[in-house]
Amino acid sequence: MNRKLFLASSISSALAACSPIGTALNNNAGFHHFLGSAQGLSEAVIGTHGLAREYPESAISSVYRIDSLPTPTSTRYMDLLAGDFRGYRLIVDGAVDRKSAYTLAQLRAMPQQTQITRHDCVEGWSVIGKWSGVRLGDIVAAAQPRADARYVVFHCFDRDDQGTQYYESLDMHQAMHPQTLLGLRLNGADVDADHGAPVRLRVPTQLGYKSAKWISRIEVVGNFANIEGGHGGYWEDQGYEWYAGI
Amino acid sequence: MDRTVYRYNLVTRLAHWVWLIAFLVLVSSGLQIFNAAPYLDASDKSSPAHRVLSIDSPSQGVGTTTVFGRTFTTTGWLGWTDDGMGSQGARAFPGWITIPSYQDLADGRRWHFFFAWVASVCWLAWLVSSALKGNLAEMILRPSDIPKLWPMQAYYLKLRKEPPPYGTYNPLQKAAYTSIGLVITPLVVLTGLALSPGIDAIAAPLTWVFGGRQFARLWHFAGMLLLIGFFVVHTFQVATHGLINQMRSMVTGWYRLGEHDGVGP
Repeated sequence: MNRKLFLASSISSALAACSPIGTALNNNAGFHHFLGSAQGLSEAVIGTHGLAREYPESAISSVYRIDSLPTPTSTRYMDLLAGDFRGYRLIVDGAVDRKSAYTLAQLRAMPQQTQITRHDCVEGWSVIGKWSGVRLGDIVAAAQPRADARYVVFHCFDRDDQGTQYYESLDMHQAMHPQTLLGLRLNGADVDADHGAPVRLRVPTQLGYKSAKWISRIEVVGNFANIEGGHGGYWEDQGYEWYAGI
Repeated sequence: MDRTVYRYNLVTRLAHWVWLIAFLVLVSSGLQIFNAAPYLDASDKSSPAHRVLSIDSPSQGVGTTTVFGRTFTTTGWLGWTDDGMGSQGARAFPGWITIPSYQDLADGRRWHFFFAWVASVCWLAWLVSSALKGNLAEMILRPSDIPKLWPMQAYYLKLRKEPPPYGTYNPLQKAAYTSIGLVITPLVVLTGLALSPGIDAIAAPLTWVFGGRQFARLWHFAGMLLLIGFFVVHTFQVATHGLINQMRSMVTGWYRLGEHDGVGP
């Protein structure tokens, strides 16, 4: 009887103690910070190397799932959309020697890359799609980053219900990765509004929140401490890891 | 005759208890992560046609669990559960079993990856130290142990008076420890790694060999169920086979041999 009691009480108390103790520790700022130290270790060990797997056409998902902030409804975006993005300019500026503003026609006239890759959401689901567009590396190289340039920040048209703007960032190494793409076309058609028109970033070597939609401006910076919440991205400002390779 | 032997070295004892904590945290933070996409598909990309498990809340106040196409009502336990904030809501696994208790994917990942490192380093330290000290050899199931598996089970079921002769561990213990320590644990680590796009880019065969990312997620979950199963059986066996002696040995290293216990492989 004692043994059964021991068994039942040890298993149930181990299970029942875990969540409240964990939750209490989670709310301790010091411990929370300490837990985050594993991120640097994962980044150092895994990093951004190799190539994301590329798939045949037959692997493309029938529906490219949407799970992001809502499609922008600002006057600025709606006007651009109504005008087929003829008035759109992709601004490239920051710590570069050659600032520029690309029209959509100019982007389409550049060398295009097509990739059929898997989009892995941080929530756990995956979708496979065919993206075509311009390599981010080509755009960044053309801008001639200055010696102090370390990150590429993407400013986007979408905002959450609090009015906070979506943004993301990659380091130079990730930005120059051969599969990091400024997607202009999805599954054979121009990217539609819900999937990030007119320009949506694709980073197949990292989780989906890095693949920012509705990009308006690419800013090259030395650090992102003074941008929005200072953690290098909309979701990063809400506690998600900046390194999204895991 | 008192036959007390030094059975567990310091690394093994430390690894055992650190691993227990890491295991509990990894399960509860893992369920937190699972809750963000409470379904498992036997495919690379997400595919409802290959869905093996899904936990849903089809309507307010109702929780269901669908396994291989068969749906069960699981209100209160799965699907519609404790939201970790004092009430109930649409949530796959309940708040009392997740870290943090309320839904928070970012923090669940923070815990999970920290303790994934702890568990992996711990496992590796145990493996190396017990291989060097010869304890691993006592534990590994050998071909010669296989014919003894049924007689040992028969002894447990009281169908046999005497167990077959064995060394430090009986054949069933060897089977359990070998499968958990050398097969399931590494597989859980590898299937977890296979979920990461950064790992997939470095080591594509790893994700491929498990059938793709969603399939790896399914194996990772299945591995967790096996570890939980081992945890329950292991706790039961410890409780029913000399609880004090067993607990003392995993704290101090010293174990008093039972009537049938031997030493060596």
